[in-house]
Amino acid sequence: MNPIAVALWNPIVAKEYRSRMRTWRSPVAMTVYILLLGGLGWAIFSSMTFAARNSFNGGQAANYGQGLFLYLVLFQMVLLAFITPALTAGAISSERERQTIDLLFVTKLPSFSILWGKLLASMSFVLLLLLLSVPIFSLVFLFGGIELDQLAAAFLVTAVSALTLGIIGIACSTAFRRTLPATVSAYGAAFILLAGSLLFGLLFPTDIDPNATAAPAPPAVTYLSPLIPLITIGTNGPINNYGVRNGNNNVYPSGGGGMACSTTPAGVQSCYPIGPNGASGKVIAGPSSNLVQARGTTIPSGLFSGWQYWQATVTMQLVLSLIALIVGAVLLSPIRHLPWRRRAAAKATT
Amino acid sequence: MIAVEQLTKIYGRRTALDAVSFEVPRGEIFGFVGPNGAGKTTTLRILAALMEPTAGRAFVDGADVTMQPDRVHERLGYMPDFFGVYDQLTSAEYLDFYAACYRQPKARRKKITDDLLELVGLSDRRDQAVDTLSRGLKQRLCLARALVHDPAVLLLDEPASGLDPRARVEMREILKELQKMGKTIVISSHILPELTELCTMVGIIDQGRMRATGPVQDVIRQLTSGRRLRISVLGQREEAVAVLKPLPMIHSLSAQNGAIEAEYEGDDATAAAILQTLTAAGIRVSGFSQLEGGLEDAFMRATEDTP
Repeated sequence: MNPIAVALWNPIVAKEYRSRMRTWRSPVAMTVYILLLGGLGWAIFSSMTFAARNSFNGGQAANYGQGLFLYLVLFQMVLLAFITPALTAGAISSERERQTIDLLFVTKLPSFSILWGKLLASMSFVLLLLLLSVPIFSLVFLFGGIELDQLAAAFLVTAVSALTLGIIGIACSTAFRRTLPATVSAYGAAFILLAGSLLFGLLFPTDIDPNATAAPAPPAVTYLSPLIPLITIGTNGPINNYGVRNGNNNVYPSGGGGMACSTTPAGVQSCYPIGPNGASGKVIAGPSSNLVQARGTTIPSGLFSGWQYWQATVTMQLVLSLIALIVGAVLLSPIRHLPWRRRAAAKATT
Repeated sequence: MIAVEQLTKIYGRRTALDAVSFEVPRGEIFGFVGPNGAGKTTTLRILAALMEPTAGRAFVDGADVTMQPDRVHERLGYMPDFFGVYDQLTSAEYLDFYAACYRQPKARRKKITDDLLELVGLSDRRDQAVDTLSRGLKQRLCLARALVHDPAVLLLDEPASGLDPRARVEMREILKELQKMGKTIVISSHILPELTELCTMVGIIDQGRMRATGPVQDVIRQLTSGRRLRISVLGQREEAVAVLKPLPMIHSLSAQNGAIEAEYEGDDATAAAILQTLTAAGIRVSGFSQLEGGLEDAFMRATEDTP
């Protein structure tokens, strides 16, 4: 068997598919998922048409499309944040509870393959759910306002976030011997990833640097949440009124929010921050045209300056996934061959 | 084939294994005997590379269980005392899955599955869901699972526990068949008479310490010092005891079901001399037989004087 075949070879995946698809739970889960997503789409569309009928300027199809898309991607992410930990948190702990894990450990399957096989099987089901949602998302294109690259980026962010939640769930399942604490901790991790990181941006916003020529951006930790890039993709614009102290980076040039600005008759605009941490009195001076404001879906400053929001999120989540995967693999193995222990054992035998 | 050297396992303050050593040569059936909590399962789990010892070493076919677990897994089949099965899989699929986990080529897996189901007498249950099998049938299926990669060594932890008498007999027959196939088998069990019949070697463990190990008859001889006689007399038991007690070759006397059991030091000629003394004293002896010391007796003696 060549090395690639050995790496990909994993009978656990086939066994899990077989077991999963023979129960009534999988078709029911898929049906409920589609009904929820489709139901929400229908409800949003109905409310939009109702609002349009009652407004003077009428609705524009492109706005329908964008609004529908935004709500659908956010709802899909929340749904998967509920489903993925349930799929993975019991993957290893249930094998322990069922007393089948030892039977796997004594085979030629390395511990990492057991972990990987379980993950792949669970994530395939998540991928199946994502694929099932494609026809619902395709309805958005009937209205326009959304490009294919936006859809692809949103699906990528959703898939990577689900993968991260899945790997964290597997790591929890490995760390705890019982499924209940593993599930609770996996849901806790999902909440921290989605909402906790956003809360961090509210509690510890970025201070405005009065000398900066770029618009401030929320703290990098907040990009861990997939909700930020999904909103930027859905609205095709930056995040406003979030993660920046006293302010709204978008109102920067117009003088509102956390900055006080004045314009001289010669056209030179001076701005200075106001508020508890911005009262330094430093003045940002210069022509108003030189002030950079947050535009589009690019992060204006900070660690990921110049990156798209979704790129930062995907990168951070993949790093987090890798760490969780390594922790899971180390915890799973019944005999841990850590380099320093191997050296100690070799020394003891000589 | 199996070598255990000064194996020690300490859980917190409790010493589960205390410098246990034994060897099992190729092709032997080693009976691992001990009361509950003696350290049998811990030893077997360490041998299966499922647990690290605190100290000491263990080898399976030359492979160190701590340093080369992959090589150990290639060489041994392990059947734990408690195990579960997967839902939604048939017996054939269950074996096929484990054969795949042992990297058996797909083309060979069907034959392996069919052969093993036949060996354990489950050919007619190949399409039955494993979770619907009875405990005895699950035990047999688990034994078949341990054989999917044709290992040279089998570690069987209480394979007959919880089985009814018929299932036990069937399990014993399968193990005899494996013995004929030349497998080295380590089997832990509480059913001592069966072990005496099946095993070529035995190890008695108690409170984490190996009390005795070696060929079955050697261990029995070593632990049951002296030979025993069962003497039945016609209504003269007290007189018979009075005659036997002063004899120098008699170690102890006890009453068992109306007969006298006498433990003595010596050979068949000594036994003949004892009978002659009794009859010469006018005791009417109606029964006189030598008792074979069994594994059960050896086990009781090995474990009775432990602190």
